[in-house]
Amino acid sequence: MFGLPVTTTLLIFGFPVLWVLYTIGFLVVSRHWSEKADES
Amino acid sequence: MNTTVILFLVFYYVVVIGIGVWSMRRGATDDLEGYLLGGRNVGPLVTALTLQSTAMSGFMFLGAGSLAYTQGYWAFWYAAGDLGGGVLSLSVIGRRMRKLSRMTGSLTAIEYLEHRYPSPATRMIAAGLSVFLLAAYVLAQFIAGGKGLELVTGLPYPVALLIALTVIIVYTFLGGYLAVAYTDFFQSLIMIVGVLWILGAALIHVGGLSAANAAIAEIDPTLLSVWGKDLEFHGQWGVVAGAVLVFSIGYMGWPHVVTRHMAMAQPKTARLAGAYATAWNLLFVSSPYMVGVLAIIILPNLEDPELAIFQVAHTLLPSAVTGIVMAAIMAAIMSTADSLLLQTGSIASRDLYERFINPKASDREMVMVSRGLVLTIGIVGYFIALVQPPAVFDVVIFATSILTSAFAPAFICAVWWKKANTPGAIASMIVGSLTSFVWEAGNLADTTTLAPVTVGLLVSTLTIIIVSLATQSIAPVPDHIVAAMNETAKVGPIPKRMLAMSDVALSPEAEQIESILGHGREEP
Repeated sequence: MFGLPVTTTLLIFGFPVLWVLYTIGFLVVSRHWSEKADES
Repeated sequence: MNTTVILFLVFYYVVVIGIGVWSMRRGATDDLEGYLLGGRNVGPLVTALTLQSTAMSGFMFLGAGSLAYTQGYWAFWYAAGDLGGGVLSLSVIGRRMRKLSRMTGSLTAIEYLEHRYPSPATRMIAAGLSVFLLAAYVLAQFIAGGKGLELVTGLPYPVALLIALTVIIVYTFLGGYLAVAYTDFFQSLIMIVGVLWILGAALIHVGGLSAANAAIAEIDPTLLSVWGKDLEFHGQWGVVAGAVLVFSIGYMGWPHVVTRHMAMAQPKTARLAGAYATAWNLLFVSSPYMVGVLAIIILPNLEDPELAIFQVAHTLLPSAVTGIVMAAIMAAIMSTADSLLLQTGSIASRDLYERFINPKASDREMVMVSRGLVLTIGIVGYFIALVQPPAVFDVVIFATSILTSAFAPAFICAVWWKKANTPGAIASMIVGSLTSFVWEAGNLADTTTLAPVTVGLLVSTLTIIIVSLATQSIAPVPDHIVAAMNETAKVGPIPKRMLAMSDVALSPEAEQIESILGHGREEP
């Protein structure tokens, strides 16, 4: 893609996808945090 | 000298200082918790953006550009880790650290370590390491600021350096953490606008990414690989791991970044802040590296690769737009430098001066000492940056690698592993930092193909595990710490008996906070 080797394409576009998935996973796992009362 | 660019920068500086003044009036700066942590009242968006803009220093516009210009797409290994550094830190230690720091009454990251791993030696070693490494890190920001202003304004380097440094110190003085957080927020937005603008202009200039890659392949096809120019790093997974780790797990070892967790309005603030951090990173992180790669075609004979992004902006953009881009570059530099200065001043004043020299110091006195130290660091930094300025990339990688190796395992285990004890943490900090330092100083990465941070982090982690397990019988984790960790694991309000529960013999400030909060008051 874009004239790049496959490994370079994976490096540039694959890692952002992984971090987006990680963030979504974090939001799902921690969804009960916001349901609790004030924690301060 | 370009008048339009200078006008933009002057306007930008005025806005930044204006935000600092506004923050000062908004927060009570004579109160130490207000000065150091913004009264622990920072919401998710500001938390995310102050964390990210602090983590993204002048390195992004000088070091990242230089690395991509000289090594091609290999540089993206650093971006790969950096993209997730914020959410990783917020998700792994964010909520728990906020809660534990509140329960122990900790106001600095180093004080927090002493409360979790009770011993004066913990604070002495951690504070000493931090002050030295953060000062080195801030030095890189001064140099970056001076170089950038010199190029754009045509002013002599000493004058440009003095202007950049003065603006940073003035608004760090003004309002403490809150001024830093809100200026960081503003600067993070400027950074996004600036970097995307220059990336867009560069892509248009080279005829798109495919055309750019074809042109780079004609110059040197190895620049398109993930192994660097001439495949210099081919198969060196230890070096690759270092590039990814230093700006991902690394976040959890940097005192100026983890302090953001302690200043959050709520432990649960970490949740939304993590999402914002990822969104911001997706827009920002890869762009400076890409501009550095494109500069290979745009400016093939650049004398100083660290100026690749500055020069691309200077070459491609009209003056008015260059002003915005320059403001973005200054924003990256200053948003990190102010946090580093505040953190270094805080650690030196609270963790060294108050803890070991004058335990009876008042809040007002402490703020004054912190400001005095910020000024001293600025002056000393100015002369070092003037006389012998090292490469920004080298200084940042040196400082962040050692900080990561020294502190990441201690901060992570502080909230996740109840057996992590004082001897384990102290040994981990000493062995981790020494290993990373020796690896850096001895250039051992070349012979072993292992990056300093890879080795340092591994050794530091093993040390805290082995020493903690071996010393459980002679140095068990105190019961009140175990109880606090059990409470930290729960999601919900902090019980009144757990507030400011740290041993007052070790932390006089806990007694103050406890008296302010009052006994028997249940947290809402």
